[in-house]
Amino acid sequence: MGGSLYQRIEKECEEHISAALRSLVGQSPDLVVFLSLVEKCWQDLCDQMLMIRGIALFLDRTYVKQNSNVRSLWDMGLQLFRKHLSLAPEVEHKTVTGLLRMIESERLGEAVDRTLLNHLLKMFTALGIYSESFEKPFLECTSEFYAAEGMKYMQQSDVPDYLKHVEMRLHEENERCFLYLDAITRKPLIATAERQLLESHIPAILDKGFMTLMDGHRIEDLQRMYSLFSRASLDSVLEESFSKNEAFCNTIKDSFEHLINLRQNRPAELIAKFLDEKLRAGNKGISEEELEGTLDKVLVLFRFIQGKDVFEAFYKKDLAKRLLLGKSASIDAEKSMISKLKTECGSQFTNKLEGMFKDIELSKEINESFKQSSQARMKLPSGIEMSVHVLTTGYWPTYPPMDVRLPHELNVYQDIFKEFYLSKYSGRRLMWQNSLGHCVLKADFPKGKKELAVSLFQTVVLMLFNDAQKLSFLDIKDSTGIEDKELRRTLQSLACGKVRVLQKFPKGRDVEDDDSFIFNEGFTAPLYRIKVNAIQMKETVEENTSTTERVFQDRQYQVDAAIVRIMKTRKVLSHTLLITELFQQLKFPIKPADLKKRIESLIDREYLERDKNNPQIYNYLA
Amino acid sequence: MKNCFCYNIAERRSFDLFRVCLLFMMRRSASASKKRGQTNSTNPIPYSPSDLFRSASSKASSKEMERIDNQFYFYANRSSGMIDPEGIETLCSDMEVDHTDVRILMLAWKMKAERQGYFTLEEWRRGLKALRADTVSKLKKALPELEKEVRRPSNFEDFYSYSFCYCLTEEKQKSIDIESICQLLDLVLGSLFRAQVDYFIEYLKIQSDYKVINLDQWMGFFRFCNEINFPDLCNYNPDLAWPLILDNFVEWMQAKQS
Repeated sequence: MGGSLYQRIEKECEEHISAALRSLVGQSPDLVVFLSLVEKCWQDLCDQMLMIRGIALFLDRTYVKQNSNVRSLWDMGLQLFRKHLSLAPEVEHKTVTGLLRMIESERLGEAVDRTLLNHLLKMFTALGIYSESFEKPFLECTSEFYAAEGMKYMQQSDVPDYLKHVEMRLHEENERCFLYLDAITRKPLIATAERQLLESHIPAILDKGFMTLMDGHRIEDLQRMYSLFSRASLDSVLEESFSKNEAFCNTIKDSFEHLINLRQNRPAELIAKFLDEKLRAGNKGISEEELEGTLDKVLVLFRFIQGKDVFEAFYKKDLAKRLLLGKSASIDAEKSMISKLKTECGSQFTNKLEGMFKDIELSKEINESFKQSSQARMKLPSGIEMSVHVLTTGYWPTYPPMDVRLPHELNVYQDIFKEFYLSKYSGRRLMWQNSLGHCVLKADFPKGKKELAVSLFQTVVLMLFNDAQKLSFLDIKDSTGIEDKELRRTLQSLACGKVRVLQKFPKGRDVEDDDSFIFNEGFTAPLYRIKVNAIQMKETVEENTSTTERVFQDRQYQVDAAIVRIMKTRKVLSHTLLITELFQQLKFPIKPADLKKRIESLIDREYLERDKNNPQIYNYLA
Repeated sequence: MKNCFCYNIAERRSFDLFRVCLLFMMRRSASASKKRGQTNSTNPIPYSPSDLFRSASSKASSKEMERIDNQFYFYANRSSGMIDPEGIETLCSDMEVDHTDVRILMLAWKMKAERQGYFTLEEWRRGLKALRADTVSKLKKALPELEKEVRRPSNFEDFYSYSFCYCLTEEKQKSIDIESICQLLDLVLGSLFRAQVDYFIEYLKIQSDYKVINLDQWMGFFRFCNEINFPDLCNYNPDLAWPLILDNFVEWMQAKQS
């Protein structure tokens, strides 16, 4: 009995359901209206099936349970609905199209009936056709939509605005999953959106906007970029400690490293310069703790620099200046930075830097014993205080030899020290680095005595005026032997800056060949001791370019040495293997083309040759 | 304009004829006295360095050698004892071949001539003996055969490398300037690899990385022409040991083609 009742119920339902669905065919060209009809149809079905089930509950609980191949009444209803829906494909298709259209409208800013969407998508889920019939076309649609939008917005907006928009869109899609989409759609939906809006545009975004954001310290925008990118594709290493960082932004390892090194050696130079500013005296109001914190943050960026030798060269140059001119804010901070670098890069990297500190310490001791020495006590005139930094070549940057004709007295003093030093350390050679020297001169101005802190070159020039009132540029050049550019800078600092110990005729910023200089009789200044040697701390453009050039030149030597070393060991080696070996051995970034250049240079110089039978192979030429 | 054979066109001097006659008479008298003084035909008494050479060589008949030598002295410079650029000019004119023709370079190769623009007696002998030419007209007739011989794959690479070295005129010179290289390429490879040569010459003139070309790059280009599909360049791999200048050339070509 149960069986025949079941069958009759099924037959009735089927007739009814198929009629209901058939009636939807051709209904309403307006999709929203159509969807409402579908919803009503579905709603009716649900209500009716519930009622039937309610009435025939006993059937459900006995006959259905006892026969495993028989569906529950509810399921039966669903199955029938599904069957007849598939027999009327245009209904299903129209429904899906309608849904997609609604979602698109909502994306374009229109308000839509979310409840309708919700119910219909639930229907799809209940019918078990959600993924196939709806989700698949939905994701395709989404992909197309965001591909087009991405392109349009990238062209129209600047990077910060674009990223804001992307963030908004992703938020929106996420909401959509709460409001009407099935939860299983969230992951693929966000992935699709991110792919179209972000991944395909990452190079362009970084290209267009990254440096601007960096330069402008747009922290929030950079944070947004970071969080979007790290979600999108790359390993996200959440550095919590830097997520609210002031001075430096979050780092996205791969693309960041790529970017930072795109600008060749500039990041290395800039980081070194930043450190120089922080470690120099005159940084008011920075606590030791703050300084430590800043140093740590710098190290984060430092890790991404590929050409660390460029950094070392600039850091060394600046450290040397600070140490020799006594401009370090705190020796402890300096040493702390060195030990951080040591931890980061190993002792080989910091050996020379540590050597510089040793030299400074040692020089203090040497100066002490110099003061007590017989040479100093007997030969150095009283009132002359002399201290010398003795630098070990190799630890310190190379300074271009700067000739100068020192006044007689200064030559004498230098000789006195030399005699003392060589008596203690025989077998060494001392070379005076005149560009780094500085003096304190006692000056007798009519309006008051002054002490002038000046560079050695400035000293030499000023002392000429002990014997002459007025001197021409060419006179000074002849007498001092100072190199032309350097001399012009020196005279500029004495006659054209804030502190004018000399006066220049004719007046003007630049020193020309036919200028003359006189001692400034009318000189006054509020302080007793005046610093005039600020130029020594400044770096010239030439200095910077020559530092970088020296690093690149040094790299060339290293490459050559590595090639010869490898070939000497292997005797015979293929090109590709040689290149691989070189990339393993060399610690700085270099292009394969540059390696080829060096190989060809070595072939030219007959260190190696191409094998006669196989041009891919090199032979070492003893 | 510098060409491979760097010498100026000079007028034939009138005393050339006089010089030849003088030499001819000297030879005649020498050989006459030789005939008179000869006691043993297998041990002729040597009375000049050239006769020493002559007695040592076994294959060529002495008549042939004599004619070869005569030809040499006809073109040679009296004071230097060598055929100089002027003489080569004359020789070319006699053979009705332009002095910039590649066949002259081929002749130099056959002679294994060391110095551009000059032929020594030994070189002259070597070349003409090998070509079985003891007169200038025979030499001219031998040119097509010489050309064929040079173009044989087994010889051509050697000729190609020889042509580079032949142009190194200064003592420690290892490279040749771009302009001369372009001319040399055209001369030596132009007929074989017209397209490659034309494009490469165009590239050489625009690029600024290299002002001179060395032997390694020269030979590299030859390998390039032989191995690489042109102009699609599909089988070129810059990661291999091709000279960098060719990597740059290929990059330039690909940029042009896209």
